[in-house]
Amino acid sequence: MNVHDHIVFVIDDDVRIQEALEELLASHGIHAVVFGSAGEYIDAEKPDVASCLVLDVELPDINGLDLQRQIAEGDHPPIVFITGHGDIPSSVSAIKQGAVDFLTKPFSDGDLMTAVRAAIAQDRQQRSQRADLELLRQRYARLTPREREVMPLVVSGLLNKQAAAELGISEVTLQIHRRNVMQKMVAASLADLVRIAERLEMPVTHSRRTGGSSVE
Amino acid sequence: MTTALGSAAEILRAAKIVEGVVGNAWATDADGRFIYVTPDALTFLNLTLDDLNTPPEEGSLGWKRVIHPEDYEAAAATWRHSLRSGEPYNVEHRMLLANGAYGWGRSTGQPLHDGLGRILGWYGTVIDAGVSTSADNRPSSQTTDAPVHDAASNTPPLNLVHPHDRPAAEQAMARAFWHGIPQIVSYRRRQADGSYRWAELRAEPGYAVSVDVDPMVSKPGERWATSDTLGETVEAVRGARAVEGLFGAAFAFDPSGTFTYATPIAQTSIALTLEDLNEPLSVNSFLDGGDLGWKRSVHPDDYEDVAAALRRCLRTGEQFHHEWRVLRTSGQWVWHRFAVRPTHDTQGRITGWYGVGIDIDVYKKTEAALRERERELSQLIDMVPSHLWRLSPDGEPTFFNKRMADFLGMDAADMASPGMSRLDRLIATVHPDDAAEFGNALNRSLASGERFAMRYRLRRADGVYHWMSSRAEPLRNEEDRIVQWYGLCHDIDDQVHAEDALRESERSLRQLIETLPALIYCAAPDGKPIYRSQQLREFLGFNLEDKDEGARSRLVGTLDAIIHPDDLAVVKERYGHSLESGEPYALQHRLRRSDGEYRWVETRTAAMRNAEGAIVQWNGVCFDIEDQVRAQEELRLSQESLARASQAASLAELSASIAHEVNQPLAAVVANSHACQRWLNADPPNLERAQKTVERITRDANSAADVVNRIRALFRQSAEARTGASITGVVAEAREVLTEEALRRGARMDVAVESGLPTVRLDRVQIQQVLVNLIRNGLDAMNSLAGPRIVSIRARRSEEMVRIEIADRGRGVEFPERIFEPFFTTKGDGMGMGLAICRSIVESHGGRLWAEKNEPQGAKFIFTLPIEPDATP
Repeated sequence: MNVHDHIVFVIDDDVRIQEALEELLASHGIHAVVFGSAGEYIDAEKPDVASCLVLDVELPDINGLDLQRQIAEGDHPPIVFITGHGDIPSSVSAIKQGAVDFLTKPFSDGDLMTAVRAAIAQDRQQRSQRADLELLRQRYARLTPREREVMPLVVSGLLNKQAAAELGISEVTLQIHRRNVMQKMVAASLADLVRIAERLEMPVTHSRRTGGSSVE
Repeated sequence: MTTALGSAAEILRAAKIVEGVVGNAWATDADGRFIYVTPDALTFLNLTLDDLNTPPEEGSLGWKRVIHPEDYEAAAATWRHSLRSGEPYNVEHRMLLANGAYGWGRSTGQPLHDGLGRILGWYGTVIDAGVSTSADNRPSSQTTDAPVHDAASNTPPLNLVHPHDRPAAEQAMARAFWHGIPQIVSYRRRQADGSYRWAELRAEPGYAVSVDVDPMVSKPGERWATSDTLGETVEAVRGARAVEGLFGAAFAFDPSGTFTYATPIAQTSIALTLEDLNEPLSVNSFLDGGDLGWKRSVHPDDYEDVAAALRRCLRTGEQFHHEWRVLRTSGQWVWHRFAVRPTHDTQGRITGWYGVGIDIDVYKKTEAALRERERELSQLIDMVPSHLWRLSPDGEPTFFNKRMADFLGMDAADMASPGMSRLDRLIATVHPDDAAEFGNALNRSLASGERFAMRYRLRRADGVYHWMSSRAEPLRNEEDRIVQWYGLCHDIDDQVHAEDALRESERSLRQLIETLPALIYCAAPDGKPIYRSQQLREFLGFNLEDKDEGARSRLVGTLDAIIHPDDLAVVKERYGHSLESGEPYALQHRLRRSDGEYRWVETRTAAMRNAEGAIVQWNGVCFDIEDQVRAQEELRLSQESLARASQAASLAELSASIAHEVNQPLAAVVANSHACQRWLNADPPNLERAQKTVERITRDANSAADVVNRIRALFRQSAEARTGASITGVVAEAREVLTEEALRRGARMDVAVESGLPTVRLDRVQIQQVLVNLIRNGLDAMNSLAGPRIVSIRARRSEEMVRIEIADRGRGVEFPERIFEPFFTTKGDGMGMGLAICRSIVESHGGRLWAEKNEPQGAKFIFTLPIEPDATP
């Protein structure tokens, strides 16, 4: 694990806590960036590496839980909440919203580090998945319109003959398109293409059975 | 011997003489056939001489045509009687004038005798009786009711009158004759035995009075006489005598003004004989400006004019007419009118003068009186502060009094204008908005004869319209025909404006009352409702009269209907008390709204009194305070719960806040400690970073200690808020705060405070918090207790302290000292700050707080507070 391939963001209005967490994380070899408020964090430019957000519930501008809801829409680092006086409803709400942990001050070194590491690992995984998906999307973008018509029919399991009839083209032409799709999407097999289509959340428009019965 | 022609000439001459004096005369032959009537009189009567002699029908007289039918028979009978008997003729009657109207007149006639006493003929005159006498003075009934010949027979013959009294008697009768006024005079009446007795003569108008007194009959030695030599005045004397026969007082004088004849009455009445009359009073002759004796009989103020006029007539031969005051023998000045005419000889030279003096005193006085009366009346009419007007039966204005003329800027006469009737002109002076109604009303009255009454605006001369109140009533004649309309018009402009202003102010006042956002009512002195404002009527949903039913009074009926049953008794009692005593009334009660909902209202009523202080009315106002009451109630409840909540929450919140304050530095300390440990354990140890973290640990730990110090300081700082207070009150307040809570928790508080406790200097809120906290702890301690849950609170004096004990029956305290340490708690949900703070508060007050074991069970918390040094009793 490289020092520079991950980072921890700390948001707490108490400078003492900021300093202490920064120091503690540093002693664990983790780089931390601290903020005094949610606004500062939102406005800041953040490096594109695996990260974790250590968030105080009581903030001067908005409540930490509200911030969690606010950023839930987009991609954001997993959150570890810290609070002066934790109450059960708040912690339940935070965990439900996807927080990694909810720590009550004062917390132990172990608890914090466990949570932070888990969060970073989670983020790293999420980031890798997002990267894969992005690659697939880029490949899909290179398909011609006809190839984009062919791909859902193929992954739906239609025979070449059926797919060609569906599109009103010859089977030979369809086979050419199919081969291009397989090449462009870097699919090793039809099964691989089906998995790729799922990742892309491509809708399955035809089933072989219904398609078959209509032809027969 | 006198021929018929001669006798006719004789009669004619007599008539002419009369005509010369009176203005009209007539003459008939012995049979009553007219031989002369003054031409003007004929014209006046629209008759010819022949008409008078031509009977309109068999057996009647020619002049029946001109005599009022009611008067004719009497007049004719009298005339026939005179012709037969030779007695003078004298009758009053109405004559038909040329203009078609009847006028009252008096005809008198006198026979002319020849030397043998035979009647040669008659001469006489008609006097318009209605002209110069007022209706009141005119003797109408006597003459018509009592035939003249009958009346004449009652007149005492003059030969029965003592000669000395005859002139007076004659004069009285003449005056009565002329003036129509009964005259009363005393005279000596000759009795059958020849002696005389005093009697009274009442000379009634209408009596035929003969003044034909033979001068020779008069007694020698009487101071009146005829001139010895008549000279050229024979003719004049004869004229005088002719006139004298009719009027009683005649005289004659020669061209130089020297009297040659005077009727005996004239002489006696002024007590001047002919000699006296003619006695020169100066060297000059009369014509040359000298004065004669008769000057004495003329009022000094009148004499110069009289003398000058007479001298002028004597020189010019003009007829003399003059009025002056004559000195009567009695010493009175009496107005007379004198008429004198000259006589001429054949060459036209004046041979003498004859004349008559008529007593016109009554006329003069009457006239003066009338004039005065008229002046007063017209003054009255003009001075009346109103407009008076008179309309003809057709509505033509015929008279405005001065005020009205001044107001309109024109008189009734000015109303005449071309192309417009006077009535229309009158209507045109009325305000255009009122003119039509005015015209209609007036025309309706004119047509029906009904009284006219109206208010309208009348234009003043300057164009300003004034409100008038006008009335008019018709005057009807005997035939019930309307003769004219008399109207009165009163300027009521100020009144109308005042009324308008009053009405306006009344209206705005009423509107004010009606629109005021309050329920307003008025009641009679006995409380009977007599007025309710719009808002109140709408609120109640019924009117004043709606509760007038059965045996109950309106007041009772209303109260029963509108007052909440729970409030009815007190309302009746208090209202009744006010009605009886006159004291104002103010009460809050529930009032029934029209929808049946009872609303809280505040009612205030006060008496309105008159100048004597008697109550004339009760005026009241009623505010709907439902919302207010409700809001107040809600406020009170929320305040109470807030008080309870704040009492309950303050320490908990304080605890939470303190926890946060302490947690922050603690969290930093913990984190830094771990970091420090890691730096030290690193290989090689990073001492520099470890050093840095240790510094931070020290700093943050101190920071946490500061928090605790600040909390202590927090309570010390409020020492200024302390005041001397009785602990009794503070205990009571704390108890009140917790009463409800204790009840809810099935516990009770047993309070025993020693009486006469000295005051303590304390912060009321803080000590209350201590008490509440301790009592609540006690309640908490007994939550699971089965037996009676009692918190007993005792306060008593202990040396220089007040000692307060709060004891419960719970499980007791396991660690009597540790429980006061911050964050120490035996409760599941406690923060462990309450007792720490309580102790801090008590100690800051200079007292102590500790816990003991309560007997037989439970815990007892005791705190003391020092007594204020100067408050020691």
